[in-house]
Amino acid sequence: MVTVENLHKRFGDLHVLKGISLKVQKGEVLVIIGPSGSGKSTFLRCLNHLEIPTSGKIMIDGVDLGDRHTNINLVRRSVGMVFQHFNLFPHLTALENIILAPVKVLGMSRSEAEDRGMELLGKVGLADKRDAYPDQLSGGQKQRVAIARALAMKPKLMLFDEPTSALDPEMIGEVLGVMRELAIEGMTMIVVSHEMGFAREVADRVLLLDGGVIVEEGTPSEFFGNPKHERTRAFLSKIL
Amino acid sequence: MTYDVEAVARYLPFLLRGITVTLQFTVLSFVLGSVLGLVFALGRISRNPVLRVPCRAYIDFIRGTPLLAQIYLVHFGFPQMFGYKPVGWVDAVVALTLNSAAYVAEIFRAGIESIERGQMEAARSLGMTYSQAMRYVVLPQAFRRVVPPMGNEFIALLKESSLVSVIGMEDLMMKARMMAGRSFKAFEAYFTIALIYLALTFTFARLLDFLERRIKTNGHG
Repeated sequence: MVTVENLHKRFGDLHVLKGISLKVQKGEVLVIIGPSGSGKSTFLRCLNHLEIPTSGKIMIDGVDLGDRHTNINLVRRSVGMVFQHFNLFPHLTALENIILAPVKVLGMSRSEAEDRGMELLGKVGLADKRDAYPDQLSGGQKQRVAIARALAMKPKLMLFDEPTSALDPEMIGEVLGVMRELAIEGMTMIVVSHEMGFAREVADRVLLLDGGVIVEEGTPSEFFGNPKHERTRAFLSKIL
Repeated sequence: MTYDVEAVARYLPFLLRGITVTLQFTVLSFVLGSVLGLVFALGRISRNPVLRVPCRAYIDFIRGTPLLAQIYLVHFGFPQMFGYKPVGWVDAVVALTLNSAAYVAEIFRAGIESIERGQMEAARSLGMTYSQAMRYVVLPQAFRRVVPPMGNEFIALLKESSLVSVIGMEDLMMKARMMAGRSFKAFEAYFTIALIYLALTFTFARLLDFLERRIKTNGHG
């Protein structure tokens, strides 16, 4: 589903990603952890070209993102993204947030999009909030609407950029619950997160990014139970 | 030193007819200038230098030169240079529009840039093109934020439109000049139209307050 080869990203003199290579299989859940400034978010944002890589190759579902003939907008339709700060559209209701892209980008009819939008709102447990504006929702509710908005495009891959970092502790569970359900349904997911419980339970693979390189990767039991690298042990001891 | 009330009363209907002309120039130029200003704003923030550089140069030129010079340029300069016959009211609208567009462009630019980057990113991440993201996500939010400065621009334009009197437009200012010339009551003429301008700007300012409050109470974002 996703193949990354020797990905580099520089911001001027700052070398953020220093040669990342990895593969993510269809249906796999990959959780990326790492200290702040390690390049996790930048890496994720490269996967839908919100950041343009300096060099390296990214293939998503057989499409080379770096190819001049690739229409990035087409790729993004099938790659959903959930942001740390939700980025809901504040001038639109929850339902309007969800149906905007299906109607405008996919050309879906409004009624079809609304039916599907309501289904998704139900799935994230917010059917009663269809007409609420984002400023009338709690953080956890906003993030669940944001997930529904991304799912409305029927993505093949979902990217989560610290989806619970901006939430009050009591709201983290409801968002992780939705993500867990998504994983069980077989969605391919790449998640940047510090939720170790989620990583342990839901991830197929956990990866530590530090200083712009992959330090260690493995199944949750290997990764948490028997980390091979000193930096992994040091990082885990700080956050667990 | 006497204030000739009788002269004011006699000329008042004459002066008031200038209100229609002033408002016509103001509203027409404001509407056209807003559309053009939005285009310049989008060009100004474009990453493409072919669009950005000329838009920026245009905005800098207009904002850095007197409106009076722009009016003369449009009404006398261009017709002479390109050999056509000037039409006063068209030139007045063109000059005011071109002038207002530059100020409006800066208002829109600030409005667009005040929308968090995450809004554009979220829209793009859903597969929208830049234009779609602008149209459906960024601009609707920016429009709400620019209501107060756009209102101020309208009021400024209402006052500055008095300059079209120099190319013979019979707006409020011209009516006062005519009254002063005919009756030799310069103080009465100019003071009266000053009060009329004040009444107009005051009315629009209150209207704007009302509009702002409405947006604040039932606007999200």
